[in-house]
Amino acid sequence: MNIRQFKETIAHRLMFLLCLFVLSLVFLMVFGLYQRAKPILAVSSMKDLVFSANWHPTQGHFGLAGFIAGTLWVTAIAIVIAVPLSLLTATYLSEYCSRWVREIIKPVIDLLAGISPVVYGVWGMIAVVPLVRDYLMPFLSERLPFFPFASENYTGFSALTAGIVLAIMISPLIISIIEEVMRAVSFGVREASVSLGATKWQTTKWVVLRKASPGIVAAVILGLSRAMGETMAVLMVAGCAMQGFPKSIFDTAYPLPALIANTYGEMMSVPLYDAAVLLAALILFLITVFFNIVAWGILLYIERKEA
Amino acid sequence: MQTKTHISARDLTVSYGEQQALNHISIDIPDKKITAIIGPSGCGKTTLLKSFNRLLDLQDGVRVAGQVLVDGENIYDPGVEKTHLRKRMGLLSQRPTVLPMSIYDNVVYGLRIHGVKDKKILDQAVERYLQEANLWSEVKDRLHSSATRLSIGQQQRLCLARGLAVEPEIILGDEPTSALDPVSAEQIEQRFLVLKNQYTIVLVTHILRQAKRLADYVIFLYLGNLIEHGPAEQVLNNPRYAKTQAYIEGKFIEEPTIHKEITLQKERSADYLTSTLLALDELQVDQVLKVVVDSEPTMNEISKAVELKCHKILEVKRIDLLHWEIIIQKQNVNFII
Ligand SMILES: Nc1ncnc2c1ncn2[C@@H]1O[C@H](COP(=O)(O)OP(=O)(O)OP(=O)(O)O)[C@@H](O)[C@H]1O
Ligand SMILES: [Mg+2]
Repeated sequence: MNIRQFKETIAHRLMFLLCLFVLSLVFLMVFGLYQRAKPILAVSSMKDLVFSANWHPTQGHFGLAGFIAGTLWVTAIAIVIAVPLSLLTATYLSEYCSRWVREIIKPVIDLLAGISPVVYGVWGMIAVVPLVRDYLMPFLSERLPFFPFASENYTGFSALTAGIVLAIMISPLIISIIEEVMRAVSFGVREASVSLGATKWQTTKWVVLRKASPGIVAAVILGLSRAMGETMAVLMVAGCAMQGFPKSIFDTAYPLPALIANTYGEMMSVPLYDAAVLLAALILFLITVFFNIVAWGILLYIERKEA
Repeated sequence: MQTKTHISARDLTVSYGEQQALNHISIDIPDKKITAIIGPSGCGKTTLLKSFNRLLDLQDGVRVAGQVLVDGENIYDPGVEKTHLRKRMGLLSQRPTVLPMSIYDNVVYGLRIHGVKDKKILDQAVERYLQEANLWSEVKDRLHSSATRLSIGQQQRLCLARGLAVEPEIILGDEPTSALDPVSAEQIEQRFLVLKNQYTIVLVTHILRQAKRLADYVIFLYLGNLIEHGPAEQVLNNPRYAKTQAYIEGKFIEEPTIHKEITLQKERSADYLTSTLLALDELQVDQVLKVVVDSEPTMNEISKAVELKCHKILEVKRIDLLHWEIIIQKQNVNFII
């Protein structure tokens, strides 16, 4: 065997090993979390822990349902705001604006994507909290006194506040990806559509977005995962008071990451607290994995339908 | 020609950034005839075709100057409704491009975007136009499967069906049979011969025999210049200019070496004729004279006079808004003026 082939083999093996290592980290993490969460699973069943919102650690009740619901609630609000915003912005950037406008806006958006969550949190506290407290909440909750608007929380720290901050935070990432995916759609299909007399909007809607749909789904899921795991910004504006299930976008929410960051390592005197928080981490992990698998399924479905 | 003109380009110049793709093209395309655009690769055939339905507008950095008249109306006027204009022309692009949807949806795409919703009309259109494009029998059992799964040749025919379905007046085909085997190509050619009773057809083709079979009228472009145009028999069998001849005979197209160049400006007509002939006198047989003049009538007169004296005109070219150049090769004739 000559030197070149030897190098080739070594490189091949090494890369394979590294790949395996990264993969095993995931399993190690799940395993580690599970090990540490075991004590609490010995006391109460998984079902109770996941579906009960009774969170009174000092009395030995560790129902995580409120936190899980909080996570889903805040993420859902963020996605509902972020997706249309990102989709339209990306469409504008990719299809409508002139080249120099794009060349100015694109770097700014990429810059936004890189700003630290703490900054978004601070901005949320000084700008979004008052906006929700003084305008959105009094206005909407009075006029539409039913789900999901009715609420008694007048502080401005709420699920909606967190959702807005998160939406602003994940939008740059989503916009950036969607814009790239849309621009990668071949010029030929645009020409084909336009030459049949379609307007730009019709072309975008029926051809470009359709062709870009797998990428768009991927971008949204990436944003969703990011929103779900985001801790700092949410911690600062969501209120983080445990009130059972959130019943309104104006109620406070206490998502899992905030719970973990807030309490892990602090309330260790309470028996089983440690295990409960690590179980929360495991659940967060599993939820994220679940959504990624769903996304994968959607992608496969779209691709199969297309090709 | 006694036929009506459908599309005419007036002094059309197109450039992509720095690169000029078409130089001062003026041409009339007859109504309900097949016009073939021929010329070597990169000479601007696709560009000319796309300038007819304003498809060039989609690209950044394309500049179009001059006019294109469709039924006498300049389509580059600011008030022109582009979508409506494009609907009047079915364009078959050089690379067949199906839309990312089913075969059925591809065919009715044009109808749908123009507001047709009635399922019965759509169904009929699908069958009718797929049949017109010779594709129906191959796909009738899988109309709702994705069009991207069709073979390239089938895609090309699907594009034809899709283009016909918007009921255009004009069909612009950019090498519409390039991906087809001889038999399918022949079938499509037959279709075009039928279609020309209803449509004005402009075809780009690399195949001279195809041009001979189909075309009533031929346009020869070379490096963005309009070299020659006219009735098919004339251009293809008896071309006037050297470059056309070379192209049609499959020879390498050469730029003639210019031995002498004169520029005639604002002179009286007798003078420029004499100047030209005098200049020719000074040359040896087969040497080449280039004459630059500043009006079309002058250009025509000089060409006529020179041909009367049996010299050979290699090329007549418009170089910019005002100037024309005539390339003349001296022949072995011994007239004395
Ligand atoms: N988008 C573009 N940007 C820059 N230059 C272009 C563009 N499209 C075409 N050109 C140039 O314009 C000239 C004419 O191109 P065009 O596509 O019209 O040629 P064509 O005659 O259709 O050639 P072919 O037979 O190979 O299709 C070429 O020199 C080409 O390089
Ligand atoms: Mg071309």
